Amino acid sequence: MVRRRDPLRPPTKPLLALGLEGSANKIGAGVMQHLPDGTTAVLSNVRHTYNPPPGEGFLPRDTAEHHRQWVHKVINDAISKAGISMHDLDCICFTKGPGMGAPLQSVAVVARTLSLLFRKPLIGVNHCIGHIEMGRLITGAQNPVVLYVSGGNTQVIAYSRQRYRIFGETLDIAVGNCLDRFARVIGLSNDPAPGYNIELEAKRGKRLLPLPYATKGMDVSFSGLLMATEAYTTDKRYRASSTGASDEEDIITPADLCYSLQETVFAMLVEITERAMAHIGSKEVLIVGGVGSNVRLQEMMGVMAKERGGLVFAMDERFCIDNGIMIAQAGLLSYRMGFETTLADSTCSQRFRTDEVAVAWRA
Amino acid sequence: MTTVFKLDDADIISQGAEAKVYHVQLHPSPSPRICIKHRFQKTYRHPTLDAQLSRSRLQAESRVLVRCLRAGVNVPVVRLVDLDGGLLGTEWIDGMSVRRILGGGDEGVLEDDDDDDVAEEDADEHLQKFAVTKDELMRLIGHEIGKLHLADIIHGDLTTSNMMLRTRMADAPAQLVLIDFGLAFNSTLVEDKAVDLYVLERAFASTHPDSEPLYATVLDEYARVLGKAWDPVKRRLDDVRLRGRKRSMVG
Repeated sequence: MVRRRDPLRPPTKPLLALGLEGSANKIGAGVMQHLPDGTTAVLSNVRHTYNPPPGEGFLPRDTAEHHRQWVHKVINDAISKAGISMHDLDCICFTKGPGMGAPLQSVAVVARTLSLLFRKPLIGVNHCIGHIEMGRLITGAQNPVVLYVSGGNTQVIAYSRQRYRIFGETLDIAVGNCLDRFARVIGLSNDPAPGYNIELEAKRGKRLLPLPYATKGMDVSFSGLLMATEAYTTDKRYRASSTGASDEEDIITPADLCYSLQETVFAMLVEITERAMAHIGSKEVLIVGGVGSNVRLQEMMGVMAKERGGLVFAMDERFCIDNGIMIAQAGLLSYRMGFETTLADSTCSQRFRTDEVAVAWRA
Repeated sequence: MTTVFKLDDADIISQGAEAKVYHVQLHPSPSPRICIKHRFQKTYRHPTLDAQLSRSRLQAESRVLVRCLRAGVNVPVVRLVDLDGGLLGTEWIDGMSVRRILGGGDEGVLEDDDDDDVAEEDADEHLQKFAVTKDELMRLIGHEIGKLHLADIIHGDLTTSNMMLRTRMADAPAQLVLIDFGLAFNSTLVEDKAVDLYVLERAFASTHPDSEPLYATVLDEYARVLGKAWDPVKRRLDDVRLRGRKRSMVG
């Protein structure tokens, strides 16, 4: 097959983009640079996270309020760390969706204002595409199967003909949501992230408890699994305060539950990813999204990929967890293809599927 | 009768996500060669979880195959089941996967390392070889799934890779065989049938973007086979499609 020519031409001058992200509980700003020689540079990547007290999730109103309070500082920091001025920018990119309505809007307002104030074109970016493009940039993966796992999304994606097509996804709640909600049930802290605390707790777990394993073709379902895990906390054998049980005792600790939960949900995710790989004949996997920073998931994916003679690309929390720079990267790519969002179209949406975006910049 | 053979010596046909598939000569010729599906250990999974999943899936798969045969659905005949070894032996189907016939390349076939070439294969040529039109092929698919669902069996992983067109003997009519019942289960629920159809719909959309309109023909024939039972499935299928779109609002 003749490889199609890369539609993305090198820029004629250095390009700078500011990316603004606030679709969930993180407000992020980053400055991305694309140079005429084809290289790219992350000039700054600033983020602030809203952490509700233990046992609570982040509510849209409070999260939006947090974003409004922090947006100036985050943007100022991003601009000064990059060592540029607002006037040097070529475009301003913001998250158009998907995400929580109120936080999305609070950031979109800022993006529109900056665009009008400094007369810069506005680029609306799909959050998921941002994750994928940042992952490709950082890891150098060419055409991977993408597992996008976060608090709001769980999708297995592969590129084909100008679209990132969704091969499998969750039928109910996202995997991060499942982990976070269970963290709340057992009262783990939301700082730095509930999922991270589950990961730490799981390391001390010894016992694998039977949980429902719900894969349907290439789709997965987590809500029943979450309920089943929660049900163990009312089991007679459950000891909320127990940390390390001796092996003979028939008790269930929070660590055991975290361990069982992680082992089961990650096995499901790796399984559907493997299915997608087998289906399209790809040997590369790219893990993006907040849950992607979980080392156990990366490890399991690594074993699977190795068995298939493939490779896993994963990132650390700077680029895995929601950030502004990924929005700048995806935005700048579409800007270079001549895409621009008019002020009238600069709305945001809670529902904006990955496969709705025409990916003009790939062959 | 003992079944002494080594998988290492057998011809490996493909490595799917679930298992490796071999073409094995179980008994000396002229007894026909059979297809062996080996669910090898998935080392990424917790061993307990893995053993439990493999065992239950193998058991379920062989039971469903037998049920299918009884209901007259075209599936490979079961020849051997070894729960401890993770082996399922079935009749060898001589033919080609629908995915390949429609020009979508083949799934995980080891001989074709260069997947770029496969995508270029000409669909028309394959269709000619099997002497069916695209329309007839879609009807065959709809027909088999209809029979399957009438028997209250849900395939669970309906993709074009999991359907084969048997090589025709002389004037025998074209026969479509459903394979890989690894995720199959019994259910009378309209919901499960609708989801099953939806899985195939999505597989069509992602692997054969050009053939997507043809999917309507599949449903048309399916509806004919189901008769009165079609209306509730149709209504639920419309629901499931909407549900798919709603998913993106999560979070």
